[in-house]
Amino acid sequence: MIRFEKVCFGYGSGLILNETSFTIEDGEKLAILGGSGSGKTTILKMIVGLIRPDSGTIIVDGDDITGKSEDALNDVRRKFSIVFQQGALFDSLTVKENVAFCLREYTAMSEGEIDAKVRELLQLVDVEPAIYLMPDELSGGMHRRVAIARALAVSTPKMMLYDEATAGLDPVNSDNICRLIVELSRSGMGHIMVTHKVVDAMKVAERFIFLENGKVVFDGNADALIHSAHPPIKIFVDELRYQPTALR
Amino acid sequence: MNLRQTISDLQDYYHLAFHGFMGIFRRPVYWKDTLEQMDYAGAGSFFIMGLVSLFVGMALSLQLAAELSVLGLKMYIGKVVGITIIREVGPVTAALVFTGRVGAGIASELGSMMIGNQVDSLRVFGVDPIKKLVTPRIVASLVMLPALTIVGDAISLLGAWYIAVFVSNQSGYVFWSSVRSILDFQNVFSGAVKPFMFGFIIASISCYAGLTTRGGATGLRTSTTNAVVMSIIMIIISDFILTRILLYVLGYST
Repeated sequence: MIRFEKVCFGYGSGLILNETSFTIEDGEKLAILGGSGSGKTTILKMIVGLIRPDSGTIIVDGDDITGKSEDALNDVRRKFSIVFQQGALFDSLTVKENVAFCLREYTAMSEGEIDAKVRELLQLVDVEPAIYLMPDELSGGMHRRVAIARALAVSTPKMMLYDEATAGLDPVNSDNICRLIVELSRSGMGHIMVTHKVVDAMKVAERFIFLENGKVVFDGNADALIHSAHPPIKIFVDELRYQPTALR
Repeated sequence: MNLRQTISDLQDYYHLAFHGFMGIFRRPVYWKDTLEQMDYAGAGSFFIMGLVSLFVGMALSLQLAAELSVLGLKMYIGKVVGITIIREVGPVTAALVFTGRVGAGIASELGSMMIGNQVDSLRVFGVDPIKKLVTPRIVASLVMLPALTIVGDAISLLGAWYIAVFVSNQSGYVFWSSVRSILDFQNVFSGAVKPFMFGFIIASISCYAGLTTRGGATGLRTSTTNAVVMSIIMIIISDFILTRILLYVLGYST
């Protein structure tokens, strides 16, 4: 379980999170929506301890992680796998080396075992033919798939964190990534998807949080989101309806 | 300038430089990364270092030949050029070239890793970014800059010899014997100590600049510029301090 209690965070004088509070249960399929700069990515990074809040408390499985040292945070990080915006693959390594990174770092697997495991993961995300390519030779969709494979190689996380996993992708590729996310969650693994694409959020999530000016202004299911009267949410939800004349 | 911020930045820099250096003595050892960095910093800089050193040696020899000829002391070209190159110009030139090529490369590479969340990925995977990224670069600089300085000194002397013999019509034998006469412990030690210090300064400052990159392309430009400018300033300042200390330790009266 993840609990944010009155978390505040800002850069300089700008406040990104303003007494943000919410709870996420294990196995939940959650989407965090909001405009650019609303603090969505900051929340993901705080969950794995990459960013520390200025004030407030973050509790993961009953454990306050706010003041933990970098070494102590490693135990928390093992519970999650995060797929960063644009994939964040190591650009000096091939696809195989990227996926094998943690296997080489933390296991005593032989080269043959690593090769088999990497191929298995790449098959799972349907990019095995790209095994020897460099990240800059991959398309946007392949990039995200490899990033997901790499995240799964770390361990078996109890929750996957996706930071704008479909940003910049065409609708077909976005749909494929969403299907993959749903597929991976069938084993009971929860996920948090940060996105500003409500269409994709609807495909992968059962619960939705909407952030505005660093505060949670909506927390509910798909039906409540669609019928929300809050103006910014209505603009987001409009994406679900085809309204070509809206701006004319 | 915000004093509190400056003190905080300095604290962060010392933390990174200290832990980056101490990483040499801690496991795990990233051999592959270290060798890659040594190849990039050393073999990759060889040509440019040789080229710059050659012309520095030739220019120095030309200047001294012109001045010493007037005084009738042309036979001292080898001695003066040798001392200047080995004790002062060689290490500083090598460090400046190294800063321009390797320091800027380190800052921009780490900076783009920061912007692309690759450093965050390492942290999420439980890998210490200082151990993985900073220590190999410090080791590479500590090993390769002294090596490049020796090569650069030799090439500078070769350039100086060419000018002394073929332009100033001095005897090659006289040139080399006066160079040999100044290759004593004091001079060689003075020139050999500096590159280690310079290598550490360049690598640590560049890594710090890279790992504190914020924002997009503009942030990357700023951090690369900061790495180069701060490294050059610190090389020049530390060169003066080291020279003062070395002259004192080696018993020269100044």
